[in-house]
Amino acid sequence: MKRTFPLGIVLVTGLLGVVPFFVPHPIVQQADDIIRNKLLRIISMFALILGLGSLIRHNIEKIRRKNEHWPYSYILFGSLVITAIIGVGGGIDGAGRLPTVVGGFRFDIQTLYANIVVPLGGTMFALLAFFMSSAAYRAFRVHTLTAALLLISAFVVMLGMVPLGDFLGLRFSEIGQWILTVPNTASKRGIMIGVALGVIATSLKIILGVERKWLGGER
Amino acid sequence: MKWLEVFLTIDRRIIFAVVGFVLVLPIIFPFGFRTPVTPPTQKLYDAVEAIPARDKALTISVDYAPQTEPELHPMTIALLRHAFSRRKYVLILALYVQGLGLAEDALRTVVGEFNERATSPADSILYGRDYVFLGWQPPPVIPILGMGTSIRGVFPRDYYGNETDTLAMMKEIDSYSDMDLLVSISGGTPPVWYVAYAQSRFGIKVGAGITAVSVADFFPYLETGQFSGMLAGIKGAAEYEELVARNLGLEDRRKAMEGMSSQAAAHIAIMAFVILGNIGYFAKRKRRP
Amino acid sequence: MNVNPDPWVWIAAFLTLAIFSFLYKENPFYRVAEYTFVGVSNGYFISLMWHNVAIPVLVNPLRSAAAQAGEEGLSPGLFNPVNDANFLLLIPMFIGLLYLSRFFRRVSWLVRIPIAFYLGYYMGLSIPTILEASVLRQIRGTILTQETFSDWAAGLWAVVVLVGVVCTIIYFFFSREHKGVLGAASKVGIVFVMVGFGASFGYTVMARIALAIGRIIFLLRDWIGLIQ
Repeated sequence: MKRTFPLGIVLVTGLLGVVPFFVPHPIVQQADDIIRNKLLRIISMFALILGLGSLIRHNIEKIRRKNEHWPYSYILFGSLVITAIIGVGGGIDGAGRLPTVVGGFRFDIQTLYANIVVPLGGTMFALLAFFMSSAAYRAFRVHTLTAALLLISAFVVMLGMVPLGDFLGLRFSEIGQWILTVPNTASKRGIMIGVALGVIATSLKIILGVERKWLGGER
Repeated sequence: MKWLEVFLTIDRRIIFAVVGFVLVLPIIFPFGFRTPVTPPTQKLYDAVEAIPARDKALTISVDYAPQTEPELHPMTIALLRHAFSRRKYVLILALYVQGLGLAEDALRTVVGEFNERATSPADSILYGRDYVFLGWQPPPVIPILGMGTSIRGVFPRDYYGNETDTLAMMKEIDSYSDMDLLVSISGGTPPVWYVAYAQSRFGIKVGAGITAVSVADFFPYLETGQFSGMLAGIKGAAEYEELVARNLGLEDRRKAMEGMSSQAAAHIAIMAFVILGNIGYFAKRKRRP
Repeated sequence: MNVNPDPWVWIAAFLTLAIFSFLYKENPFYRVAEYTFVGVSNGYFISLMWHNVAIPVLVNPLRSAAAQAGEEGLSPGLFNPVNDANFLLLIPMFIGLLYLSRFFRRVSWLVRIPIAFYLGYYMGLSIPTILEASVLRQIRGTILTQETFSDWAAGLWAVVVLVGVVCTIIYFFFSREHKGVLGAASKVGIVFVMVGFGASFGYTVMARIALAIGRIIFLLRDWIGLIQ
């Protein structure tokens, strides 16, 4: 029952996912709309709450066990609670019940997003430029002919993006475009077809109950 | 030659410092950079131009987060400038929550530019008449498939809480059949989702604005015509800005172009590091019996 | 130099420099910034989820249904899934609440039920769509037709693409040993794969550098006004 019932749901909903693609009848399309817009949309809303709950539980455990960096978890909780209160109470545009402007200083949810989330998120990924440079220097070694091919292809594409290649009259930008259009397309297309067939096979296995790892270990 | 092996021992903080220097200097002292327009960018520009004004809509799906904002945000801004300049209807939505703030920022920037220049309401860009910001409805498959039947069914209220029914533009636009082109600007797979779920079922034309990381992987979709055009990373954004400035005479700030000098210098620096590393490697290999 | 007086720009600049300080070494400023990012992102997410999803999709329709029931009594329309205001929305709400059973060991198996709904539908949906978009259309784009050879250069490259696609697929076919014709084809395939990965690397470099440039321009232009 604990495993059979969910497997039965997967089979039924799997068929409900496939059928509307092939049956354009209005009743089938309307049923599909209801399943998506009313059933699945509300269910998935609570999945996002699960993610939040897991984050909170993990950090509470961290504080309780005094794991590495545990004091910073208080910063996480504080900033989460304050932002949520400002956002829920203050509204999207700062037009909610909670005032979000004090003496010309705005602190509505969009201002917090633009001045805290955007710089932090952007800078975290900006670090990758530096780490990638260091990794390319340390790890990119031309051991074999195929590695040399990879390097030449990468250099041609990189030179095609800067004016140096064209400045030297070497038409790297055209060669780079050719690399994208011909050999790259061929290899990526082959990989794409293989991956797609694998995804289809796995989807069928899950719907038919052959693949059951998603149920977890507990019986 | 043993001294060549020193190239194997450069401390990573020196590499970071050199990369930082190479990035900062060309921003302060930029060198002239011509941006020839590549075919994928031109295709997208032509696809947007071909949208019948005040009839069909251009839909921009802002599917990126702050992490990829420097590459993708200039694309959204350039597309909005193009669409508003040609008086196309514009619908904006986000498949991820992080895209909402960025979409709002782009709209505020571009609408502000146009309305500052406007001399009458007819010239201005007005919410509800010229563009609608639908907002976000998770999970992504909901709006991707739902807009094939009814936009109002997926977005009963827009991002600002207005009932979608009450907005002037939405009286004419209610599904993919009322859109001519959908452009997904994303750091991941949403453009492919639109092709797989929306295009295969409802036939909507899809364009893509993607990070450079995804360009090689998504190129096959461009070659088969599943993408009507593609902006490839910050260079694609710079090319689109060039087209918009050249053809429409808009002289607003070109965020993507600002960084192209640094981009060029950094590419050369990284190639130099790889070459140095390999020189040291081969020198060491030769010395070993 | 024209330093921006806006306190929010200073906060953004401080947070940017705190993250960049990690390049030198791990430090408390970086940790504070990192945990603040997680907290504020999740707070933002809660706010938007409440205003953009919970209210219009669940709260308002249930409220309307309750108001209607109060005025007109329990009519069949209130149990019609087609109508916006209907009590049947309580069903997905209770199914969704089963996600929270994950936190209680004795009933944690119930979490499989809401997962099964979403997983099953999504798996079913992806079969025909991925087959169409990533297999059939791609094969169609590879097949040679008379039209392909209307231009000799395009025709030549189309043949190369066809050879490349077939050889790449052969390279990843591990059910038979790569010997003879299969071996030769897989060697051709690896050449195409390596050239493709080289192109990916080149574009990845561009992507990562662009992200760093964006933040540096913010510091130099929007914060300290060193450039215009």
